[in-house]
Order: sequence, then C-alpha cells, then structure tokens
Amino acid sequence: MSEKHAANRREDLRLITGRGRYSSDNNLPGQLHASFLRCDCAHAEIVAIDTAPALKRPGVVAVFTGEDAIAAGYKNFPNLMTFTNKAGAGILQPERPVLAHGRVRFVGETVAMVVAESAAIAQDAVADIRVEYRDLPTVVDAEDALKPAAPLLHTSVPGNLTLEWDTGDAAAVAQAFKQAAHVTKLKVVSPRVVPSPMEPRAALISYEAASGCYDVYTNSQGIGMLRWQISALTGVPEDKLRLHLHDVGGSFGQRSAVYPEHGALMIASKKLGRPIKWVATRSECFLSDSHGRGIVMGGELALDRDGKFLAARYDFVVDMGAYLTTTGPASHVRNPAICTTGVYKIPALYANFRVALTNTAPIAAYRGAGRPDIAYVIERLVDQAACELKIDRAELRRRNFIPLDAFPYKTPTLGTYEASDFNGCLTKALKAADWDGFPQRREAARKRGKLRGIGLSTVIEGTAAGFQPKDQIAIEFDADGRLEVFTVALSQGQGHETTFAQIVADTLGIAAESVTLRQSVHGKNIVGNHTGGSRSLVGAGSVCKIAAQKLIEQARPLAAEALELEPSQVDYANGAYRSRDGAKSIDLLELAKQHAGASPHPLNLIAEASVAATFPNGCHIAEVEIDPETGVSEIAAYTACDDCGTVINHAIVEGQMHGGVAMGAGQVFGEQTVYDKSSGQLLSGSFSDYAMPRAGWVRDIHMNDHPLISKVNVLGAKGVGESGCTASLSTLVTAALDAVRPLGIEHLDMPLTASRMWQMIQQAQQPQQAKAK
Amino acid sequence: MFQFNYLKAKSLADAAALAKANPDAKLMSGGMTLLPTLKQGLAQPSHLIDIGGLSELSGIEVKGNTLVIGAATRHYDVASSAVVRKAIPALAYLANQIGDPQVRNRGTLGGSVANNDPAADYPSAVLALNATIVTNQREIAADDFFQGMFATALEEGEIVVRIVFPLPKRAAYEKFPHPASGYAMAGVFIADTAAGVRVAVTGAGPGVFRWSDAEAALARGLKAGALDALHVDATDLNEDFHATREYRANLVQVMGKRALHKLLA
Repeated sequence: MSEKHAANRREDLRLITGRGRYSSDNNLPGQLHASFLRCDCAHAEIVAIDTAPALKRPGVVAVFTGEDAIAAGYKNFPNLMTFTNKAGAGILQPERPVLAHGRVRFVGETVAMVVAESAAIAQDAVADIRVEYRDLPTVVDAEDALKPAAPLLHTSVPGNLTLEWDTGDAAAVAQAFKQAAHVTKLKVVSPRVVPSPMEPRAALISYEAASGCYDVYTNSQGIGMLRWQISALTGVPEDKLRLHLHDVGGSFGQRSAVYPEHGALMIASKKLGRPIKWVATRSECFLSDSHGRGIVMGGELALDRDGKFLAARYDFVVDMGAYLTTTGPASHVRNPAICTTGVYKIPALYANFRVALTNTAPIAAYRGAGRPDIAYVIERLVDQAACELKIDRAELRRRNFIPLDAFPYKTPTLGTYEASDFNGCLTKALKAADWDGFPQRREAARKRGKLRGIGLSTVIEGTAAGFQPKDQIAIEFDADGRLEVFTVALSQGQGHETTFAQIVADTLGIAAESVTLRQSVHGKNIVGNHTGGSRSLVGAGSVCKIAAQKLIEQARPLAAEALELEPSQVDYANGAYRSRDGAKSIDLLELAKQHAGASPHPLNLIAEASVAATFPNGCHIAEVEIDPETGVSEIAAYTACDDCGTVINHAIVEGQMHGGVAMGAGQVFGEQTVYDKSSGQLLSGSFSDYAMPRAGWVRDIHMNDHPLISKVNVLGAKGVGESGCTASLSTLVTAALDAVRPLGIEHLDMPLTASRMWQMIQQAQQPQQAKAK
Repeated sequence: MFQFNYLKAKSLADAAALAKANPDAKLMSGGMTLLPTLKQGLAQPSHLIDIGGLSELSGIEVKGNTLVIGAATRHYDVASSAVVRKAIPALAYLANQIGDPQVRNRGTLGGSVANNDPAADYPSAVLALNATIVTNQREIAADDFFQGMFATALEEGEIVVRIVFPLPKRAAYEKFPHPASGYAMAGVFIADTAAGVRVAVTGAGPGVFRWSDAEAALARGLKAGALDALHVDATDLNEDFHATREYRANLVQVMGKRALHKLLA
C-alpha cells in the first residue's frame, strides 16, 4: 500500500459533519406518518381489535390490521435456504402476515399500523387501539422448543422444527470415535445478541397509481437483494419497485432482510395515495429488528494417541425466533457447515443442524453469521483437548494443521479451502504476543491480586460467497465527462467510496478524486451481490479493477483517432495514451470530456466477473485479567496475525478488524439478551439494560499480517469484514478460561459478565476454603 | 406525544406559585431522568416548570465549616469546581462518575437528590456527609430526607434550593458501575465527620441506606482492614438478571473496602 492511501476515508468528512443522507432524512411532499402497535405478549390469540378510538383522534387518517395484510396477500417471506432434510423436504416456512393475523408469536410483533398527519399523532393513536388477547403458553429457548411437550408456534411447523439437515459421514465418524484414544466433548452457547447499528430502521414508501410503481426509501445492504425480497413478499414485480438507497448507519447483517413494515407501508401508500414514512424508535429496534447468533453447539473431537485428530461431530440447535428471516437459516447452517474442519485436517466429520422456532424476535445474519460460531466450538474443543491431554495448545494445533502442500483442500463437508499458511500465522502471532513471556505477566498480575490468562485461536472462515452468480460494475461518464463507477454493493460503513475509487484510480493511473462511486442506484441495469458476507471488496472490488482495464482498451481506438494514429501505435500509462515516440499524448479523462454529451457516452461500459469464495484466516492471541473480588474481566493484551490476502487499504482493514474484535468483545463480556422464560418479555430491551461494548474495552490491538495472495480474484484479496468476530470469541473466552482454570473452573459460557464470573469463582473457591478449614 | 405546557420559572417564588397553581405539574431541573420518562409515556404531567436556570439555585461556596452547593448546579460544575475539589474532593470525584459527559453537563445535584433514584450516586454523599437539604420551605437533615425508592421527605411543590455539606475530615467514594447504564450497582461513600464516621450505600438496595455495621467497625478504629471481616446481609438487596443479591452484597463489601483504602491513602 502506498502512503497516499493512508489518509482518512473519502466519505468521512461528509459523514462526520452531518452531511450524510440517512433513511430518515428522506421526505416527500404530502407524506403521512406511520406508527406500529406491537404486541406486549409473547404468544397469544388475537380475539378482537378495536381501532375505533384511534380513528377518532384528530389527525389520524387510517388504521391497518392483519385483515389488510391477508387481503393484500403479504404473508410469504422469501428464504435463501435451499438445503433439504433426509426425506428431501425443504425448510418449513411459516406464514407471517406483515401485520399479525389471528395470533402473535413474539413481544414486539406488528399488530396494527396507524397512519396520521404527524408521527406524534400516530404514536399517540397507537395507544388508543384496544386489543383483546388470549394468552398461550410460551417457549423462548430453542432446545426447550424442540421438546415433545413444547408449545407449538405454527401448526405448519410440527415440533417447532423448520429443518433438520446434516452433512458429513456419520458412519465414518462413529467408527473413528470407537477407535479413538481420547474423546473431548463439550457443549457451548453462542448467545443471542441485539445487533444495534447506530441508525434505526426507517422507510418512506410512495405508491404511484399511474405507473403502479412504488418508490422505496429505506436502509439496506444493497439494491438487488432487497428489491428481490420485497417483490417476493408482495408479488409486486421488481420493475415496479424503485429503491432509493443512500447512506446506511451500520447494518452487520441486520439490514439485509425485508421486514414486515416494508409491506405494511406499501399497503397504506397504495390505499391512501400518499407517501408514508416510518422511523423506528430504539425500543422498537430492540424488540423487532432481527437479532443475531443464538446457537447451542454440542461438539465432540476424537484423537489418537499422538494427539492427531481423527474425527469431529457437531450438534447445532439454531434459534430462529418466531419466524424465518430471509438470511437466518442459510447463514446459520450453510456458513458453519463450510468450515466444520476449522484449520485442521480432520478425516471424518459430521454435523447435524436443527433449525428451531421460539417465541422471540426473529434471528438473521449478524457479522460472521455462523462463521464465528463454528470457529468458536472448534477452538473450544481443541483447547479443551489440549488441556485434557496436557499437550501445549500451540503444539496440538501444529500437529493437526492442514499442511501447506494440501491446498486446495476439499473439506469432508462443504468447503474447498484456498491456500493458507496456518503455521506461519501461528508462529508470527506467538512471537508478536510474546507467548513465552506470559508466565511472568501472570505472576505480576497475581501480585496485583488479578487472575491473568492467555487465549489462542487459529481460525478460518468462508467469505465472499454471494447469492448472485456474478458481480457487474458499470463505468459511465456524466454530461461533463466525469468518471462515475456504479456498484450494486452498498456501504454501511465499509468505506466503499474510498476503496473502490482507489482500485479504479490505481488501475487507470489517475487521481482517486477523479473517480466518483455511486452505489445501489435505481435504474442502473447491473446485477451483483449486496454488501454482506465480507463480499464487496472481493466481488465488486475485483470487477472495479476489471472494468478499469476494460476502459483502457475501450478508449484506445478513440485515443488513437484523436492522436491520428493506429490503436496499436498508442500505449497507455499513468492516465494517458501516448504515441510510441512520446511526442503525442492525450489524457484518458480529457478524451472522455471530448466525447461528453454523446448518448450513450462511447466509453460507458459494464464489466463483470464470477468471483469464488475466499478463506481469510488468522491467529489471534489475547490476555485477559480478572478481578476475583468483582468478577470484572479486562482485555490486557490483544494480538492478531491475519491472512486477508492482498491489502488494498490498510486503514480500512484495521478498522474492520478493530470493529470485529470489539463486537466479539461485546458478545463475550457484555451483551446479554434476556427473555423471561415464563412471560416471554424481553428484559434487556434498552441500552440501560443491554451492555454494548465500550471504546475502552479493546484499547490496543497489535496487528500483524501474513498474507497468501488469493488466486480466485484479480485483487488477490480475501474478504476480511467478519474476521475480527470470528477469531475474537474463542480467543477471549479461552483467555478468561485460562485465567480461572487454576481455580478448578473447566467451563465458561458467554457472556462472561462480572456477576457470572464472580459466582463461578466463588463456587470454585468454596470447596478449597472448606478444605483449608 | 401527549400535550403539556412548558413554563420557565422566573424566580424561586414564581416556581413555587406555578407549582401550587398546577397540581399536576412537574418541576424540571436538568431533566436527565424526567425527559426520558416523558418520552416513554411513564409520566404525563400537565406542566413542566423549568427551574434549571434560577440564580437562587446556583453557586458553589465554602461558608464556615460547610460547602454550600446550589441545587441547579450541574454535575460537571461540581466535578470541575476548584472549590469542591479542595473542600470535599470525594464529592467532585463522585460527580465525575455520574452518567456520561452529556448527562453531567445537564443533570443537577438538586434534581438527582430530589429524584432519589436508588442507584444514583449523589444520595450516598449527601447521606454519608450528613448534609442538610435546604428547600424553599425548611431545612431537612439527610437522615430524614431519603425515604426509599424514589421517595423523599419533600412535600408537593417543595423545591430543593441548596445542599449544605459539613466539611468532613476526609471522605472517599467507590462505585461499581452497572455495565449498561453506568448507574451504581453498588456505591459506598465513607465520610470521617465531626459526628463520627458515616457510611452510605447506594445502588445495592431499594434506596440509599447507612451501613451501620461498617460505621460501628470504623468507629472502633478507622484503619486498614477494618471492614474485611464484615458480612453484608443480602436479604434486602436488589436482584435482577444482571446481578444476584449475593453479588450485590459482595460489591458493597468490596467497594467499602476500596473506599476505605482510598480514604486512608
């Protein structure tokens, strides 16, 4: 990376000086405002709804209920899950009217929508609606939901089980376990989190009767994915949906799916003939934005006498909440299935996934989306095995790494890994973290009254696998001949404006400022993946480079003509075409200007590529100090050595790693989503009760890289957006576990809240104290 | 949004008259608790009477053996006041632990004390320092003022004007912040006063309370380790999904020990 790219991101000044255009910044003349009545019970039949008092309130225009949703037929949400069970049956997709009809199944489900002249009137009128419910028994835990006597959410989903899918060779695994010298078993939880991006959910939707088109202003991860989903939900053809997407204040997977509110606003706008706007409150976000994670994972690892892995078996129970989201099942089953072998050579593998429904908010993709979870259970297993067999943690890993000469490595389940140097990453990280000097630091901490532990993870994840068969990029020149690059991908904070412009500019040899990026623009006839799954740099970014190369060739004849030469007689370098003798030259951008106004501009082009999955990997090492008096954990040191292939922009990669590690720290130490077991109420429904990670939690990350250039894309990059999450969960938990192992504690589950840690330490110390007495 | 009227009081007398004339009104100082409550629809007063800017409620000064702080003084002003830092440094420290910078620049001493949130920081200082709450009607001793969760001795329409803190020989505060809200999960204020050592606990129970066992132990000797052998009874402490009452009892003891350590340093 050259120093010229080390500066702030191009979008930063605009965004941090309040000049971003977020979803709620959109307004249309004559717009009305919506507010949703959300049920306050977790599972109930709707006996009666009385909307009359709300309609009487001055300024209220209309109230919509489940009857309107059924009449419109808006109840079938799309799903990306294509896997089938042993009998060949696909996932059972329960109906979900965009306004609840007949029954509610989680606290916060949309029951009615008031449309009024102002948002305040609409909110007040929501409180006027009277709903009579008949309570039903509630189940909020996924394992409980799969038990025979559990309350049933949907008659269409027997046993609350939407899909049971398995992968691998069960018989071979069983055989290997029989022959194993040692078996390590554990059960861990990747607890449910509330993703909480800074920008709340919002939408403004306007129906145009003359054309039958809907204008949709909302926050999203990309135009194609959302347009397809809205169309699938509503039956409105995609060419009648005009999506207007601008800046997005964070998503982490949460903005990838269509939501019921989109459908409800469409119903209202069509009926009333006016634009309808809705902006969620933070309380609504807690209750009804898709949640993340929520997986219970059983794991077993079989080893031979020398500590070589023979087989592994996993049992996943995946909590999906009360309804299936577009991305939830696919991301929580497919993504972990790709990496069941981790970074290790495990000859026999088997994994079973049960996708369950509970009376809780629906779950969808959340940064990593199944990747951190599978990495977590594998790394916990390996650590536990090392402990049980008294083999050094790094050494056990070295004995089992997939060796460099084994790539491309086809795993026994879904994945085929591209080349990675796991031992190289590990060795570099151990040195950078001063692994060998840890005993002194532990002793120094002990003298200060602290328990200090060190944790290590070596992880891999399958990223950048899109749902679209290819990614396209358009390069166009505007009326003044300025270069614009159009992507389907849409930044939610990833810095596309900086990175993609940089790729195009570097390929063309021009200044990055000459390139303007336009993302997810309606009317651009290009296909591609939305921004998710660490995809955009690898997919859209690669095609940016291809598009720029194509531009050089496409402009060559015009340049030659301008220079009065044959195309074969001009060379391109540093933004200009030159005659061989160097006597004549013309800048690419000048050439483009000369043709400005032509329609279409002769240099406009579309480039495309199909880009395969990449496998970023790395070794993270953390040291955690625990105060035994209060149970408070503190990250004392954090070292990362990652292979994300070619780094296009170090500042952005570092930002992604910092964010990913901080999100991991949030899940490990703070975030706690608590539904009351009997009532199904969300007890952690505000930032007063839900502990987000704080800036001070992750003070310094010592970052190193050990890149092996990817061969599946022209940039050589591997998608890095989720790596920080994938590595940090197991790294931080095993560090904390290492700190308390000397007390006899052998198992920890996230979140490691101070209260929980203190209780564990107390329980561990009691028998010791009793002995001492 | 339900309708309410906003009234800006011109003087303390004006505020009292407005409160009397409007029995469903609420007095507002910094509004850091009241405004979120309004937004959630949990309070629906007919009027808000803004007393935050009244000059009669402002000012920080040492008068004789006391530190007098106007009720509308913001947490930031207490935390950064050279006068407070010299007179009762533990009080300045406490003020700097409240909420976040936004809250500290809006929230006020009087508002916090009058609201008596069981997890607020200030009540522990007021109680441990044996302060006097001066209202527009009378003077109330701290021991009589705090009456459990959100309950105080204040009558309807009675306004806290200032708080008079007798200068202690020394004092210290230690707090364990709630991981999400930053309120005290347990906060212990120890004050070595002319009337003896007083110890107040906030956050752990349904309201601020004096920790009599600790006071007795410290009366026997204000020295290191004096609180080590105490057992905090968890029976009446708060419990929720964040922390068991046993954990809170432990925090009371640990924060007490740490406050004592600080006081003796």
